[in-house]
Amino acid sequence: MKLVILNAIVCDPQSAMHGKKCDLLISSGIIDDIQPSAKKVFEKSSTKSWDVKGALLSPGWFDMRASLREPGMEHKENLESGALAAAAGGFTRVACLPDTDPTLQTKADIEFIYRKSEDLPVHLLPYGAITKNREGTELNELYDMHLAGAIAFTDANKCLMHAGIMMRAMQYAANFGGILLSHAQDQHLATGGRMHEGAMSVNLGLKGIPNIAEEVIVARDIELARYVNTPLHFSHISSKGSVELIRKARKQGLQITADVSVASLVFTDENLHDFNSNYKVLPPLRGKADQKALWDGVADGTIDCIVSDHQPEDTEHKAVEFEYAAYGMIQLQTAYSLLNMFKPKQLDNGMLIKALSINPRKILKQKAVSITKGASAEITIFNPTATWEYHAASNLSKSVNNPVMSQTLTGKVLGIINKDQLIKNI
Amino acid sequence: MKRFSQKHLLGIKDLTREDIELVFETADNFKAIINRPIKKVPSLRDVTIANIFFENSTRTRISFELAQKRLSADVINFSASSSSVSKGETLVDTVKNILSMKVDMVVMRHPAPGACLFLAKHINAQIINAGDGTHEHPTQALLDAYSIREKLGSVKGKKVVIVGDITHSRVALSNIFCLQKLGAEVMVCGPTTLIPKHIASLGVKIEHDLMKALQWCDVANMLRIQLERQEIKYFPSLREYSMLFGLNKEKLQKLNKEIVIMHPGPINRGVEITSDVADSKHSIILDQVENGVATRMAIMYLLAGSSPQ
Repeated sequence: MKLVILNAIVCDPQSAMHGKKCDLLISSGIIDDIQPSAKKVFEKSSTKSWDVKGALLSPGWFDMRASLREPGMEHKENLESGALAAAAGGFTRVACLPDTDPTLQTKADIEFIYRKSEDLPVHLLPYGAITKNREGTELNELYDMHLAGAIAFTDANKCLMHAGIMMRAMQYAANFGGILLSHAQDQHLATGGRMHEGAMSVNLGLKGIPNIAEEVIVARDIELARYVNTPLHFSHISSKGSVELIRKARKQGLQITADVSVASLVFTDENLHDFNSNYKVLPPLRGKADQKALWDGVADGTIDCIVSDHQPEDTEHKAVEFEYAAYGMIQLQTAYSLLNMFKPKQLDNGMLIKALSINPRKILKQKAVSITKGASAEITIFNPTATWEYHAASNLSKSVNNPVMSQTLTGKVLGIINKDQLIKNI
Repeated sequence: MKRFSQKHLLGIKDLTREDIELVFETADNFKAIINRPIKKVPSLRDVTIANIFFENSTRTRISFELAQKRLSADVINFSASSSSVSKGETLVDTVKNILSMKVDMVVMRHPAPGACLFLAKHINAQIINAGDGTHEHPTQALLDAYSIREKLGSVKGKKVVIVGDITHSRVALSNIFCLQKLGAEVMVCGPTTLIPKHIASLGVKIEHDLMKALQWCDVANMLRIQLERQEIKYFPSLREYSMLFGLNKEKLQKLNKEIVIMHPGPINRGVEITSDVADSKHSIILDQVENGVATRMAIMYLLAGSSPQ
């Protein structure tokens, strides 16, 4: 494919062209050339051109955390619908969780995801489960999965409660450079909890999941990482205390990284005031002070990445009494718009791109992507001021469990260039 | 004529002080009526009410049913174990099935907090919350406040302590909301493991020493220990609970004043309250039961009148 992109403002803190308005010539999946005002020259080499009229252009976004429900729950989502929603949301790569049925925990499971997603517009990169059936008792064959392309290891939304097994998994994976993700929630401290413990949970008569349930595991795993001297990544941290623990550990030189979900950044427990189960997520939506600490963590780099934490659930699991409703919201398609609408003013687009594109690749040891001449053309084009309607017809996921369904959102992904294809959002 | 502001009675949270006072004034009339030789009035003739109970209940269900019959409503009763996705029919389906038989009002008790609000969003009938898990039990709070008003003349300025398992109690939450709206001061007292950490956000006092709490209050509302709602152990034994938080005659006699004793029932005699206290002249436990019928008549009467249909 040959393509000329006109009047794009480069948003890539790694590139010399960052902040400049440029034209790009793309050919066979490579950025052949990039220059300001090169329309006439470039259009000689390609008949296909797209004037993006001052939209931003960044390295393709990388979502570090999404559940795509295949195999096993294809009525909620499958690899194809997940990939299409991801593409529409600006993601060129999605790391998918092993919380499928069966669990992704063998070489064959990992190969299945690669084989099944070959022709999809987005690269899907499977995680392997750390323990058998994510039960936290017996280690899976991590090395075999690593060789098959498992991008890292996680038990998804199950906390590895046994400190000894967690430590041995960290030590063992480090042998071959495998990366471990920790989902921090002490199940005994969270018993019976359905939402964040705070004034709102008291008001609703719901038992809360206290911040400390997350923080004791963050503290435990930091100490384990210190003891065995390995890197460790914390997934979707949600509490102020966790941010502080991680900030301190990083200052001490530990190789600790972390991500936060879009939901934790843009919503709080106050959204639950009328028991709307679309706000029921794990980790739970926390209080305002936590939310501020998370944004501060993104701004100062304590939190490296922002993840969609896309969790599709069918109506049968959501349109029920709050207590019985499943956890999770879909976010692949709306992640950027919500971040754009809710981010504090001091957080510029360059910082957002670090968290959405550059850092996930670093942490997961993936090839860097940059907007420079000769680099592979893996690109997201977006406009922070354009608006769009998110509703049942424009939603590409098989599920509808998103609390901003049927709203007008500000900040629009115009399209991605990936796998030598241009996928435009209408 | 004053009108009730709500279409449903989902929780005390949604009511104004005027609503609550209107319930009390209406209940005064009904209380006079149910003490007459002919206790029945035709107010809700041709109104069909379904009592749908997903949790065991004897006294609340009987109280509602009696109130409905005294108002000449047509009543159907439905009891089921808790419904959920895994157990077959969903709540909305169950209730829609019943509503197809032309039911105007639903009185529901359900183990899940928010279940009544959830139902109100999905069906057309008027809903009365007869207890939704650990969230609210509005008619209990109304009858409790009504009973305090009856005994002490008014609720305003009174000091009420709620003793026991606050975490698992819908009675506590609704009582706090109701008493505060009427201008009372509220304290909660119980073991730290059974008091939500953030309860102070509701503007209540917290005390862990029963004697201090009793010394402070005008009214002590002794909650039932609800072992069935506790999925883990919060105290070692009922014996120890009773030693620390049970109310007995000795403790009452140490006080230099008289206080009013309440209990939402059913009583675990010897646990939260001993028999000599429950049956003493301080206790208004049986008045609460009688007032339950009058208050529930008032609620259903007012809701039927506020109905747009």
